[in-house]
Amino acid sequence: MNYLRLLAWIVLGLVSTTVAGQDIGDTANEGRELYNVNQCWQCHGYEGQGGAAVRIAPTIYPFIAFATLVRHTNLMPAYSPDVLSDEDLQKIFEFVRAVPEPPAIEDIPELSGIQ
Amino acid sequence: MKDEEKPEGVNRREFLSTATAGVAAAALTKPAVAQEGGATNGQEDAVSPLTAAQEAMESDTPDGYGADEAMEYFVRHPGSDFMVDVIKDIGFDFMTTNPGSSFRGLHESVVNYGKNTAPELLTCTHEEQAVAMAHGYSKATAGQPLAVLVHSTVGLQHASMAIYNAWCDRSPMLILGGNHLEATERRTGVEWSHSAQDAARVVRDYTKWDDAPLSLQGFSESMARAYKISTTPPMGPVVVIIDGHLQEGEVGDQAPTIPGVAPTQPPHGDLSALDEAARWLVEAESPAIAVDLMAHNQDGIDALIELAEELQAPVYNQFGRVNFPNTHYLSQGANVIAQADVVLGLELYDTWGILNTVRDRVHRDSLRTARPDVRVIDIGVKDLFTKSNYQSFQRYNAADLSIAGDGQTSLPALTEAVRRHMTRARRASNAQREERWRAAHALARTASVDAARYGWDSSPVSTARLYMELWDLVKDRDWALVSDDNSQSRWARRLWSVDQHYQYIGRSGGAGLGYGAPSALGAALAHRDAGRLAINIQRDGDMMYVPGTFWTAAYHKIPMLTVMHNNRGYHQEFMHLQRMAARRQRGIDGSSHVGNELNNPAPDFAQITAGMGVWSEGPITDPKDLKAALVRAIDVVDQGEPALVDVVCQPR
Repeated sequence: MNYLRLLAWIVLGLVSTTVAGQDIGDTANEGRELYNVNQCWQCHGYEGQGGAAVRIAPTIYPFIAFATLVRHTNLMPAYSPDVLSDEDLQKIFEFVRAVPEPPAIEDIPELSGIQ
Repeated sequence: MKDEEKPEGVNRREFLSTATAGVAAAALTKPAVAQEGGATNGQEDAVSPLTAAQEAMESDTPDGYGADEAMEYFVRHPGSDFMVDVIKDIGFDFMTTNPGSSFRGLHESVVNYGKNTAPELLTCTHEEQAVAMAHGYSKATAGQPLAVLVHSTVGLQHASMAIYNAWCDRSPMLILGGNHLEATERRTGVEWSHSAQDAARVVRDYTKWDDAPLSLQGFSESMARAYKISTTPPMGPVVVIIDGHLQEGEVGDQAPTIPGVAPTQPPHGDLSALDEAARWLVEAESPAIAVDLMAHNQDGIDALIELAEELQAPVYNQFGRVNFPNTHYLSQGANVIAQADVVLGLELYDTWGILNTVRDRVHRDSLRTARPDVRVIDIGVKDLFTKSNYQSFQRYNAADLSIAGDGQTSLPALTEAVRRHMTRARRASNAQREERWRAAHALARTASVDAARYGWDSSPVSTARLYMELWDLVKDRDWALVSDDNSQSRWARRLWSVDQHYQYIGRSGGAGLGYGAPSALGAALAHRDAGRLAINIQRDGDMMYVPGTFWTAAYHKIPMLTVMHNNRGYHQEFMHLQRMAARRQRGIDGSSHVGNELNNPAPDFAQITAGMGVWSEGPITDPKDLKAALVRAIDVVDQGEPALVDVVCQPR
């Protein structure tokens, strides 16, 4: 999967309105559980804030792009549907979408003074 | 070389004259024996006159001992006293050690003859700790070595990983190993297990030099040579084996002397080659500088600032040392190498690695990350000295211009050459470069500030929060980070202001765990006299190797603030196992903790270090509790004691 195709999927996904039919709150919670069980936090942090790997939450990508990066990637291990089903991946995606925005820099004194 | 205070009442000349004035020789003179047949013949045999040695001993022996008996029990001028004279003459502030019988002679001489002063013995609970303390100390003092005293068998074996780290990291230190070479003089049992024919062999692949002198004069000259070799770039650890017989026997009529030591001045690169390099850099459209182990001290930083500003070339600092201030607008990331048409490498550990990468896939292929037409100038000392067995020298890179010479020492000549070649047109275009790099630096800084807010209120505590809460408390005082922030997303290098050589200790060199705590303590020892706050962000996995380091901190009252980055496991290996599981399409949902976690039960690090006499608090899991705990801990450290705060953190 080259990155031109990936970009195409992102563009398509941005105009797509596909969303899982379940309540986002429940799904997001299930997704958090799956995120933890499948050890996504090891590289991306417990809140998807990043660490050894990039920040993924709150995500701006559509699901198709998210799934592409999980299944076909140059950097992270590739997770096939055999070990991480599409259904579980969808739930994980709902979790990283649901992670709330952190406080603004202006509201964090330890950061707001950094030049 | 430092002038050391000699033991009271004794100077070198006085010691040597005493030693040669008829004090008992090593060989005993046997007393007169009965004639053959056993019984005496009723007449007194003529008594042989006493030797000068016996006469001297007779006049100095304690009451109740005859001269012959005294020579079996007492030693007036042990060889190890002379060894202390040599050690003091070279000049070591401290000698780290984990005690051992093979060097009991020198140990006693350091304590009683040398008054445990310059060097002062530092008691360590493991030889790995002893060596790593010397490693950290040298980095915090711009290359000042310590002496390390160990067994030559089990001691060097214990110390070996730490010596390897020091070798990879070009850290000077002089390791003394005790041994008993003469087989007939070994006591039964342990002295055989703790003796070797070629004692330094176990670490020879990753030390610069070693020797096993057989005389005190040989020891004296070996020590001088060892010091010179260790402190000559590329610096590195050296070993001198000190035989037990040499330590414990009388100096007698050996009359050893102490030679002087003139430190070797490091070489700069060939001047015509530097001139060529300067021409390439001036003519380049997008030059970039990559630097790793260059700066020996603050002068190196200043010299690089001068060169970089002359060229308006971005600097990618790999932080083997603090080579360049991260606050300077020319301090940039690795991406500058990818777009450069000329790259200047200064003391790079891995030149190939900044131009290429190897993908961690089933079939490991190499990818070029730099431009195919980039010209590479590689200046450094790595080609002047290396060994082949351990592969720490990294992959071969075919530089376009390879200049052997010390990076820091070569900089003034290179900058001068750049100025000679600089044209008016280039200087005019440099203004645009400056504008570009100022914008890029500001953007990167802003992006890092923004990245730090994600996970800010998380539990476990985010590493960004840990670092920035701490920064808020220390930014206006003289501080030194005596640990490496690679495992905490490099927050110190991204958001703290690191512009002094001593402010960041860099990595271990060989990536051997168990380096962190003791190297931090060694560096903290150096900072103690400067009144500087030494800060150690301590990984939990690393601490489990030599936790006794904290006992040493308490015992020797070395102030150091330790804040745990406690992610409850050997996290690097968590990720490796996860990669393997995903690659093999099994076990991603439950196997990566096996063999990797430090949990269930989670070690209580505050309890561990409190048990060793260190003020301790934690574990802290709520970020709201962090700042107050840090304030309390800093207060303890300001009073001259070590302190630890255990913080349960996000993985990276």
